[in-house]
Amino acid sequence: MRDIRKRYGMVDALRGPTLRVGPGEVVGLVGDNAAGKSTLMKVLAGAVVPDSGEIVFDGRPVAFASPKDARELGIEMVYQDLALCDDIDVAGNLFLGREPRKAGGMMLDLSKMHADARRHLDALNIRIPLTDIPVGGLSGGQRQAVAIARAVTFGPKLLILDEPTAALAVAEVETVLELIKTVSAQDVSVILITHRLQDLFRVCDRLCVMYEGTVRADLDARNTSLERLVSEIVAHDEGEKEGERR
Amino acid sequence: MTATRTGTSQRVVTTRSARANAHIGRHAQTIAIAVVLVVLLIFFAFSADRFATTGNILNLLRQIAPTLVVATAMTFVISTSGIDLSVGSTVALSGSLLAIVLQHGWNPTLALVAILALGALIGFVNGWFSSYQNIPPFIVTLAMLSIMRGTALRATEGYSTPIDGELWIVQIGQGRIAGVPVPAILAVIIALVGWLVLTRTPFGRYVIGLGSNGESLRRAGVNTRKVGLTVYVLTGLAAAVAGVLIATRLSSGSSNAGSGFELEVITAVVLGGTSLFGGRASMLGTILGALTLGVIANGLVLLHVSPFYVQIVQGGILLLAIFANSKVWAKFGAIRK
Repeated sequence: MRDIRKRYGMVDALRGPTLRVGPGEVVGLVGDNAAGKSTLMKVLAGAVVPDSGEIVFDGRPVAFASPKDARELGIEMVYQDLALCDDIDVAGNLFLGREPRKAGGMMLDLSKMHADARRHLDALNIRIPLTDIPVGGLSGGQRQAVAIARAVTFGPKLLILDEPTAALAVAEVETVLELIKTVSAQDVSVILITHRLQDLFRVCDRLCVMYEGTVRADLDARNTSLERLVSEIVAHDEGEKEGERR
Repeated sequence: MTATRTGTSQRVVTTRSARANAHIGRHAQTIAIAVVLVVLLIFFAFSADRFATTGNILNLLRQIAPTLVVATAMTFVISTSGIDLSVGSTVALSGSLLAIVLQHGWNPTLALVAILALGALIGFVNGWFSSYQNIPPFIVTLAMLSIMRGTALRATEGYSTPIDGELWIVQIGQGRIAGVPVPAILAVIIALVGWLVLTRTPFGRYVIGLGSNGESLRRAGVNTRKVGLTVYVLTGLAAAVAGVLIATRLSSGSSNAGSGFELEVITAVVLGGTSLFGGRASMLGTILGALTLGVIANGLVLLHVSPFYVQIVQGGILLLAIFANSKVWAKFGAIRK
C-alpha cells in the first residue's frame, strides 16, 4: 500500500493540505490559479522543501532535499514546459542523462538506445513510428507523450503531470489521456494537474480540489458531476461560510 | 486495462514526409555547402592554372589545418550556444611562447606539453567565467582576446622569435608523411575524432542538449556546468595546437600570428550549418566550411587577386552564412529557432 500524506503548518502558499494517492490510482488535482497545486507538487517532487509536514511514501515517512531524492524513491514529475531538447532525437530525449553506453562507457550505444526506445514507446502504445527524428519536428501531443514516456522509463511509482494537455489539439489530448490510462494500468500512480476539467472525468479515479493552500474537497470521480466540481473550485464564498460554521 | 489504439491517436502519427523533411532540414545546409565547394573547385580548376595540381591541393590542406583544428573545437562551443573569440590570441601566445622557451633551451617535448597545457588553462579560465559564473562568453572571451594578445606582445616585445630548424618539433609544421603534410594529417585526425565525440559519445550528446535546452539537460541529472566548461578547454587546447602548427611551419613564433583567426574559424563553423543559437551542429559541415574558406583564399591568390580582398570576401561569406542560417534553412521541417 502506497499512501502519500503531507501536512504542514500555516505556510502562506500551502496551509496544511493532505493528499492521499493509492497504487495505480489517478488523482486529478484542480483548483484556481494560486491555489497551491504546483507548489504542493513541487514539494512532492523534492523541488521545494516544506517548512513542516510529512510525506509518507510506501508506508515510510520520507524527506526530500532535492528532486534527486524524490526520483530515487520513484517519484517523477513532468513539468509544464516539457523539458525536452528539441534538437535531439526521440530516443536521445528518452534516455537523456542515462544513455546506454558501450566501449567502457566512452561511446553511446545508439542501436541499443533506439531499440530500447522502440520497446518503451510500444509498451506505452505511443504512436511515434521513428525514434531518430528530432523532437522539435513532432506535434505537441507527441512531444508530451515523449516527455511522459521519458518519466515512465525511470520506473516511477508515482508520476506527477503538470498541465500535460494544455495547448494541445483535440486529437492530441486523446493521445495523452490514453497514455495516462496505459501508465496507471501498469500500477503507476498518477497525479494530474489540469484546468481542462472534462479530461479529469475521462481518466481520474478521484478528484482533489485545492483552495487557498488547502485541499478542500476529495471527490470520487465516478459519481461527481462537472457542476459539483466547478462549484467546489469557484464557489469560495459558500465554502468559507461552511468553514466558519465548522 | 490497456489503452486501445483508437483512430484518433493514429492521426497524429509522424508521416514519411515528415521524416524526410526533418532529415533534409538537418542536412540541408551541409548539402548546400558541399555544392558550393564543388562549384568553387570546378571554377578555380578552370580559371587558375596551378589550382588543380597535387602540390597546390596539399599546400591548401596544410594552410587550412590550423583553421580546421580550431573549428572542430569551436563547433562544440557554438553548439552549446557559446562563442570563443580568444582563439586567435591564444594562437599568437602559444606560438610565441613555444619559440621563446625553445630558445631558452627547453626540451621540445616538454615545451610542447607545456604549451598545450597553457592552452587548456586559458580555455579553463574562459569556461569558468562563462559556465560557472554565467558571464556571457562573448564578453569573457573578448576580454581574454585582449589579455592574451597583450601577453604575447609583452613576451616577445613585438619581435618574431626564430625556432631552430634542427629540432624535431619543426616537423609538426613542415614534415610530410608519404608526401602529405603532417599538419593536414593531424587536422583530419582531430576533425574525425571531433565528429566521433560529437555524434557518438554522451559528452557530444550533452553539448547539443546544452545548446538546445540546458534546463532540461540539468533536470536530467547532467552536470551542465562541467560540460559548458569543457568545451572552452577544448577550444583553448585546439588554439594551442594551431599556434604550434603555425609557429613550426614558419620556424618562428610571432605575437602577430592569428589576428582575425577567430573570424575565420567562426565563419567555417557557421558556414557548415552549425547554429549560432546552439543545439544544431554538423562536424562534416565544419570540415566543408573550412575547406571552402581555404579554397577561396587559395584560388583568389592564384588568380592574382589582391590578398586584401580575401578578408573582405570572408566577412561577406560570414554575413551570408548567418543570414542563410536564420532565414533560409529555418524554413525546413524540424528547426524551430
